[in-house]
Amino acid sequence: MTIVTGKTEARRKLQPVRSGALRNIWAHRADYAYVLPAIAVMLVVIAYPIYYTIELSFYKTPPGLQLRDKTFIGFDNYTTILTSEVFWKVTWNTLIWTFGSTFISFVLGFATALALHRDFVGRGVLRAILIIPWVISAVAASYIWKWIYHSDFGIIGAVLVGLGLTDRPPNFIDNVSTVLPSLIVVNIWREFPFAMIMMMAGLQTVPEQLLRAAKVDGANAWQRFWHVTFPHLRNVSVVTILLLAVANFNSFIIPWIMTAGGPSNASHIWITHIYELAFGRQRWGVASAYSVLLFLILMALGYFYVRALSGNERKEGSA
Amino acid sequence: MTRIMLGSAVLRGTVVGILTTSLMSTSALGAPPVDLSKWSPEYVRSIAGTQDFDTAGDCAKVTPLDYKGRLTFWYQGVFEGDPDLLRQYYKDFFETFRKTYPNIQLEEQALTYNDLLDKFRTALLGNAAPMAVRLQILGGTEFASKGYLQPLKPEDVGYSTEDFWPGAMKAVTWDGVTYGVPTNNETMAFIWNADIFKRAGLDPDKAPATWDDVVKYSKQIHDKLGIAGYGLVARKNAGNTPYRFMPQLWAYGGGVFDEATANPTYKEVELDSPQSKAALQASYDMYVRDKSVPVSALTNQQADNQPLFVAGQLGMMVSHPSDYNVMLDLQAKATGTDKEKAQTVIDNMRYGLIPTGPDGKRAVVFGGSNIHILKPEYVEGGKVDEPAAKAMICMWASPEWSLKMAYAGSNPGNLNGFKTKWMKERLEHIKFLDVTTSMLPYGIPFPALPESPEIMNIIVPDMLQNALTGAMTVDQAADDAAKKVKDLMGGL
Repeated sequence: MTIVTGKTEARRKLQPVRSGALRNIWAHRADYAYVLPAIAVMLVVIAYPIYYTIELSFYKTPPGLQLRDKTFIGFDNYTTILTSEVFWKVTWNTLIWTFGSTFISFVLGFATALALHRDFVGRGVLRAILIIPWVISAVAASYIWKWIYHSDFGIIGAVLVGLGLTDRPPNFIDNVSTVLPSLIVVNIWREFPFAMIMMMAGLQTVPEQLLRAAKVDGANAWQRFWHVTFPHLRNVSVVTILLLAVANFNSFIIPWIMTAGGPSNASHIWITHIYELAFGRQRWGVASAYSVLLFLILMALGYFYVRALSGNERKEGSA
Repeated sequence: MTRIMLGSAVLRGTVVGILTTSLMSTSALGAPPVDLSKWSPEYVRSIAGTQDFDTAGDCAKVTPLDYKGRLTFWYQGVFEGDPDLLRQYYKDFFETFRKTYPNIQLEEQALTYNDLLDKFRTALLGNAAPMAVRLQILGGTEFASKGYLQPLKPEDVGYSTEDFWPGAMKAVTWDGVTYGVPTNNETMAFIWNADIFKRAGLDPDKAPATWDDVVKYSKQIHDKLGIAGYGLVARKNAGNTPYRFMPQLWAYGGGVFDEATANPTYKEVELDSPQSKAALQASYDMYVRDKSVPVSALTNQQADNQPLFVAGQLGMMVSHPSDYNVMLDLQAKATGTDKEKAQTVIDNMRYGLIPTGPDGKRAVVFGGSNIHILKPEYVEGGKVDEPAAKAMICMWASPEWSLKMAYAGSNPGNLNGFKTKWMKERLEHIKFLDVTTSMLPYGIPFPALPESPEIMNIIVPDMLQNALTGAMTVDQAADDAAKKVKDLMGGL
């Protein structure tokens, strides 16, 4: 039985009837008010630059003129990009860089997390050591690796020559074929600890009793991993992979400092190429069009990331 | 009689004294310009220490010393390849400026050669540039042509146009209007290790006469000693690359345009000429055919060659007179046997003129920097404190400071700097200075075009990298670069 007082009835009459979404927003109006300042800041520092970049991508900006002297050319910048040889080369490099770095970092991080999940003496120390590459500044790491790889006097070369394995130091970063894999190795070294930490956190959520029950039921180590552990880590894996992929698509410091996209554009990825187009060559229009394309790709990745996160929330909610 | 003679002698002495003092302590504005037609190491020595200048007094005529104002200033400062000596002079300069103009609130920011252009361009887009900027010689015309800079000539800061190298003035002139004041100008020299030459069977006291000899010597050093012969530099987006490749290109009779001629027109692109290709071929021969240069040349800068040289692992390189001081700094930081090795290298360090091309043509990049004042609309806050900016420019471009700030690495932009006592001191302390000052008349400025930074920092290094990595043949790389320059000049 519902008791309706005169006050409640009066309030109901005063409030306009709202459809689902609007009613929902109204019900959470205080929450929106709390995030309003953050949204306002984002509009200024994110939304406007995005709008301006999109606008600029439709203009020709000759390097000899000021930006205000730009001329509208519609989709010409996009056509120029998509028909240029460099674009496809740089795109191929970007895909190799992103997928190579992401996949190997994840696998290595996951494997390390599994190894460190077991209890053994010195586990804490090892965990701390393995995190070091992730906490080192990327700029410092790039300079250190540049010297490690140095084609004449690098540490790796010196060791290999010293051991008599080769006559000359290997050419890691001054060669068009080896430069990108060499940079990917540096990137993996730097970011696999991130995957490791994420997966270690994920491993904490695997119910111990399920693993014990599986063991009692006669499941071997692989079966326990595949049928019990891994399904519990699926969502954290997706999130980790997406975060790594986004970071790698946007990665700038390592390739720029170590090779500046060279030699002969062999290590140029999108972001370094965009930087060179904009700040080195002042092709603001073309660089903006590149940025818009990159933005769309990252937005797609972001969508999947949010979906993966909300999937997690739904599962937790239903549990 | 004696009294009269004594009185006359005192009078004559006083007059001579006054005259001498007035001659010795001349205002920079009134100083007779240096005679460039007589330029030689002997002439430079003969004028060094002949004149005193009153920097504060001269600058007070431009901006009163009690002037109250505020100046934002960016400058191309010292970087990792510079000697410690230069760092000290930079520190001293800003301290002196603050003492001389105590009421000018100076907000200075030092940026390296490779970062300055990018940062400055970005700031200009957001109308957030500093009031004054000291740019590399390459940058002036780009910003002048786009209308960012205010007209500014040496006369505006108390000097005369004749006080500066004509080549330097060309680099700050766009469409007949002067937009800046040169602070320093330099030419590099050829440096070699006499001990390495001797061990490789070469004459230790003779620099290679031609670039073809450099190729031969480099191979000989590498084949006999197993070390790198010539310090090739081919990194992209690094000023070091054009400073080392352009002298080679010009010596072979090539060029980007006709910039190596007396009256360049910059109409025809010559990067794909047979002469330009011959110059590129020489680099190819050293890197690919003979493997006689550092493999790391594609990612290296000159700062990376310096430790190789001091370690006795590099036979020859093109660089500033300051490299001698850099070697001393590196030696001081070395320990144990490395210290002795470094000392041997320093003792065997020799400087010579840059080699010529097959036709005897000798060329070198006429480098340096200039100071400019921005138009208010591009400056943060929309205001430019002109008197404060002029005070800074007057001081930096003075005979005294344009020499001190270039003490080890360059030469004074203000030619009167060569007459100061510090020049005399410099000639005694900076080894091989004669050689680099001797190279000055061979200096060729980069094309005075707004597109020059892209050509020199991106297109030329790209051409080198394309040829040296085998991504393209020498012909293809030169043709590709020429096409890029044509497209660029066509506004693409």
